[in-house]
Order: sequence, then C-alpha cells, then structure tokens
Amino acid sequence: MKVPGTYFNVAGPLPDGSPTRRSFLRGASCFAAATMFSRQANAAIARSSAGPLPLETQLQNPPTPPDYRLEIAEIEWELSSKRRIRTAAYNGQIPGPQLRLTEGKPATIQIVNRLDHPEIVHWHGQWIPVDADGSMEEGSPMIPAKAGTTVHFTPRPSGLHWYHTHAMANRDLKRGLYCGQFGVLHVEPRVNPGLYDAEQFIVLHDWEPYYSSSDDGSLMVNYVASSINGRMMGHDTPIQVHEGQRVLFHIVNASATEVHWLALTGHQFQVLALDGAPVPTQAKVGVLRIGPAERISAVVTMNAPGVWILGETRSSFRNAGMGTVIQYSNRSGVPQEPPMIKPYWDYRLFGNPSPVVNKPDLTIPLVFTSRFKGHGALDQWMINGKSYPDTDPLILKEGQRHRLVFENRSVDDHPVHLHRHNFELVSIKGAVTSGIRKDVVIVEAGTTVEADLVANNPGNTLFHCHQQDHMDSGFMALFRYA
Amino acid sequence: MKFFFIVLFLIAAAAATAQGNYEIQVYGADTVAPGNTMVELHSNFTADGQTRTIDGVAPTDHAEHETIEITQGINDWSEVGFYIFTLEQSGEGIQWVGDHIRPRVRVPEKWRWPVGVSLSTEVGYQRAIASPDTWTWEIRPIVDKQTGRWYFAVNPALERTWHGPDVNQGIGFSPAAKISYDFTKQITGGFEYYADYGSITSIASLHNQQQQLFPAIDLNVSPDWEINFGVGIGPTAATDHWIVKAIVGRRFDWGHKNRAE
Repeated sequence: MKVPGTYFNVAGPLPDGSPTRRSFLRGASCFAAATMFSRQANAAIARSSAGPLPLETQLQNPPTPPDYRLEIAEIEWELSSKRRIRTAAYNGQIPGPQLRLTEGKPATIQIVNRLDHPEIVHWHGQWIPVDADGSMEEGSPMIPAKAGTTVHFTPRPSGLHWYHTHAMANRDLKRGLYCGQFGVLHVEPRVNPGLYDAEQFIVLHDWEPYYSSSDDGSLMVNYVASSINGRMMGHDTPIQVHEGQRVLFHIVNASATEVHWLALTGHQFQVLALDGAPVPTQAKVGVLRIGPAERISAVVTMNAPGVWILGETRSSFRNAGMGTVIQYSNRSGVPQEPPMIKPYWDYRLFGNPSPVVNKPDLTIPLVFTSRFKGHGALDQWMINGKSYPDTDPLILKEGQRHRLVFENRSVDDHPVHLHRHNFELVSIKGAVTSGIRKDVVIVEAGTTVEADLVANNPGNTLFHCHQQDHMDSGFMALFRYA
Repeated sequence: MKFFFIVLFLIAAAAATAQGNYEIQVYGADTVAPGNTMVELHSNFTADGQTRTIDGVAPTDHAEHETIEITQGINDWSEVGFYIFTLEQSGEGIQWVGDHIRPRVRVPEKWRWPVGVSLSTEVGYQRAIASPDTWTWEIRPIVDKQTGRWYFAVNPALERTWHGPDVNQGIGFSPAAKISYDFTKQITGGFEYYADYGSITSIASLHNQQQQLFPAIDLNVSPDWEINFGVGIGPTAATDHWIVKAIVGRRFDWGHKNRAE
C-alpha cells in the first residue's frame, strides 16, 4: 500500500513483516529531518528521464508516480542495545525497504541521494538496460550528491534479487557495501517453484570493518559485528513458527566480503532456487553456504519443536551477532545453537548430473590472479593478467553461447558476478552439471568453474568479484557486445 | 628505497650492542590467536664473544644458546609465553639456565588504532652461570606498524633486577627496534637493533653499553611457520661481537580457526 509523503510506507513492509515502534520513530525522525533538509536544499538538480528538476520539486511532483522511493541518507542504527553504528542506508532502515515488483510489469523507482558524495544503486540480478543497471563502469549515471533521479525498468527475471550501492569504497571502510545501502528486491514469479505456508526474508551483513593481517600474508577486511536483518542475535524479534509449517526462507548475503555458512539445528533446507532461479534438483541440505551477493531460497519443514538459532555455523560469527531465533509456538527456553558441522557445499547437488547439451559458440578464458603489494597492503587483483580499468575488452556476440572459463589461480575463493545476465553452470572442478542458472558463483581457490552465457542483453556488462576489497583492487572487467 | 637506506644508515650510526643471547627478537604487537599455541626454538651461537669468566658468568665465546618459547593465545588481546633457557659449551654439555614467564596484552585490532600496540611483562630466574642477576623483571611496550611493504617496530623495554649485583642499579633501559621490507610475499629483509644502556638514571658510557645490529631475514613460507635468521654485529667492548641467530616457530591452532577461515 502506498501512502504519499511518508516514505517508510511507500517503501513497503519491513523484512520481518511489520515496523517496530522504534523503527517507526526512527523513520519518522528521519522523514522530519529529510523534509527539513529538502526545504533548505538550494539549486540541487536531479537527473531524470523527465529532465533535470530541482530536488524539492521532484520530490513533491515526480514526473511519474514511482512505485517505490528510496532515500539514501546517513542514519544512526541500533544493531543491539549496546552497539550503535552510523552508516548510510535506504529510507532510514537496515536492510532497506523490501521492494516487491512483478515480472514483466514496468516499474519506476525514485532515488534521492542525501549524502554529500555521488551514489549509485545497482539492481542486482536484473536483466535490464545499462542506463538502469546501476554500474558506472558500464555507463550508468551516478546520482550526484544531494540530488535525485528516477529509474525505470521492466523487472525480469523473477525471484529473489537485491539492490545495493555499487559505489567504490577503495580504502574507506564506510563506503560501498561496507555500509547499510542494501535491500531485498523480490520479483514475483509467475509460478511459485514450491509450496510453502510462510515466507521469511533473511539478509546477512557484517559491520564495523577493519583491516587485519591475514594468514595468506596480505591485509584483509575483518568485522566487529554481524547481523541478520540489521540486528545482532538476541536483539531482534524471534521468528515464530508452527509445527508442520513449511517456511520459505529467502536469504541474501549482503556482506561486503564474507562467505557465510548457515544452519538450523534439527532441520534441513530444501533448496528451491539459487540467485532467484529455480534449481532442477530441490536437494535437502543441513548447511547453506552463501557467498557475498548470492541468494538462496529454501523451504524448511518445521518438524522439530523447540527454540533454535538459525545462524552461522562458526561461533566467531555467531558471537558477533549472526543469528536469529526460531521459536515454535508454545515453546520456550534457551535457543539451541547450530551444531559444529563440517561445512560442505556443492552447487552440483542442485543441478542435473548430465552435462549441458548445447555446445558453446565461443570460449572466453578468465584467469584470476593476484599480485602481492606488501604484508600491509591489499593484493592487487587481475583478470587475464590485467587489473581494471587497464583490462582488455571482452567481446560478446549477440545471440551466441559463450563458455566462460573461470580459472582461479589465487589462494582466495572469489564470488564472481556478471551484471545484467545470468549463466548456466557447466562444470565445477572438472565435474559436469547443468540446469543451475546463477549470476554469482564462488570459484574456490585453485579451481576452475565453467559457465555458459547466452549474450541476449546488449550493452556493456560488468564482471567482477563481489568482495568489495577485491573489486576495488582491480578485480573487474567489462564485456562489450561486438 | 632511498628512504630505506637513509633509515638503515641512521640505525647503523646509532648502533652500539646486544641483550642477553638467549632470546634475540624484536616483538611485534600481534599476539598469538586465541586457543592457538606457538612453539619457537631460538638458536643463538656466539661466534666471537667473551672469552673469560667474569663474576662467575661463563664465557659466551663459541657458546650455543637454545631457548624454547611456548606461547599460548588466550583471547584476541592477550597471550602468555613461557621460556626454557639452555646453554651448551664445549666440554660442558647442555645446561639448563633458567625459565621466564611472559604475559602480554595488546590493543585489539578491532579498535582500529593506526599502529599496533601491546605491552609485555616478563619475569623469571636464570642461573648465575648465565647472569649475575638471577631474578629479573622486564616491562616491554611494543609499537609497530605495517604499511605496504614496510614494517617498523620499537620495543623500549625497561628492566629491573630483583636479585643480583644490579639490584641497586634501579631500572635499566634496553630498547630494541626493527625495520624491514617485503621483497616478496615470502621474503622480508631488514635490520634489528638491540641495546642495553644501563640504568635510566645513569646511562652507561658507550664503552659499557651493549649495542648490536642484526641484518635479518624473515621467511613467510606458511602461516603456520615463523622463520627468522640474522647475524649480529656488536661494536662495543661490552657486547659479543658476532652472533648468529635463528628462530623457528610452529603454530598449532588445535582446531581453533581464525574468524575468517
């Protein structure tokens, strides 16, 4: 439901279903501050498909009534009663408002940037034109400081996606995906891939980053706190379930750099979709591995009454806050932590065992390497021996099937992401699979993953590691259509 | 590189000798990870040292000092180290020299200080054949900084003798410092400086100071191994003139992985 003038209503429900009194007050105060600021803004020019308009004018009279409005501003956010952070976020909340769009139905999103530096919003997982995609490397326009814009696109494909800042952070650990600019974008499918009784959105993030020495000898980013849906464990509202209920968890890893492992003691996840795309084999697993920017939609049948923690399998992350309580009706007690399970994950569990039938028209090798820059520095990352922006252009031919060969010669795992397209996994560490369509895939250290890309969305297309420190250190390349 | 050589020149110019020949190491601010154990063997051979017995202390010339250091990480800001000192001399066999214990705390990395800071305190006993001062205490502030390929560390240590002829000396000043450069991911080279200036209230004459400069190399072959090798030059009369030192350390995580693993 839309209520003009109150952006937290325009934005739709919070991930946990309803706004709390605290979030309402926070939203109201942010709105009041935003209104005050708007009145004081002078000569701020918005870029829009309708032409530049003063920011205030555009806020009051948008050329097209938006389906949603996002306002980027600094907020103070309570991760827990003892830990408050200051960060940039959408509409005064973390995660940002959940955007529910319908596949194939044109959508309009108004974005207002209250920050004092340019920003950009990327619609992760959407097959949309360059102008709307939200990547300055492709040519999408940045949103200037203290200005607004309106983005129009037709959502596709359906499924669980997300939106987030695509700004560089470089060495500023308050920018880029280190901050709170992320939210769920759920594109309603024409057909649901599974039956379920309830839906829960789970958004993972890590907070208060700092540089730390790593075992492999270079600097890495570490974190003080972790959260699910913007709250540290024990400081959110438990998820209430009933015995026998089938709960569909939509999980997004919005961490800037961390791969996470999730488990729910006594339960199994039946994976329905990866990165929003239904999987051919809905396998059941005890642990989910989810890399930065990956999404998993999985059903859990609630058949183990009790009070449990859905959270990180590693105690260090759990103690830092990455967990949420799952409480069966009429059950109470101390939440039981996830077991110490040897983590195991293989994408092929969810694919067809048979190989991809179609032969590729072209093969594009992409070799990932790093260059040591000192024990007190981040590594420099390279694709085919070159760091962005000095990379060679990679050419796609429209309509043709390209086999991308991701060869990771480094000692780190990399969640690599392709904009505006997805790809079908062909082989992982030499073992074939088919039918798994993704836009992010973790290429483990020292291994090779092959994936087929059908070039069907002309325009510049960015490819990069989704770990913020890696993409800021050269791990990007641009595909161009011939 | 120009800056590197200027700093080396300044260190060399200031260099004047060495601390006890049992543990020759400039501490970094890092502590051993929680639940992890670091076992190190310090092997120091005095190629050209004191040839006479002075105040009951055995000659150091051609002596081999082997020290076992076991350090246990407690949490992300503290550790405890324990030392077993031994001495081997021709005709004397291996002799136990003493033991020290060394708790250490640090500023956690997550505080995001611009430099690494920790504070170590070491107390223990050594037999009179190794040192006339048999019970000693040391407090060692540690400040370090890794920036790009460069590493800097200073340890302005203060010492106090509890039993021995230097009891009345009060607090002694024994600074150490290190500068190094990452030539590759695996090879780091630089210089380590060790000194004992005597009492802070009455700095010893240069002749009686111990000062030593070690060109040293660190090999970063694995996160589980620590390898350091150096050759020390002691230019003052109170210093052993040539010492060859090596440190080989092995980390045991006992299944306690780092947060990021």
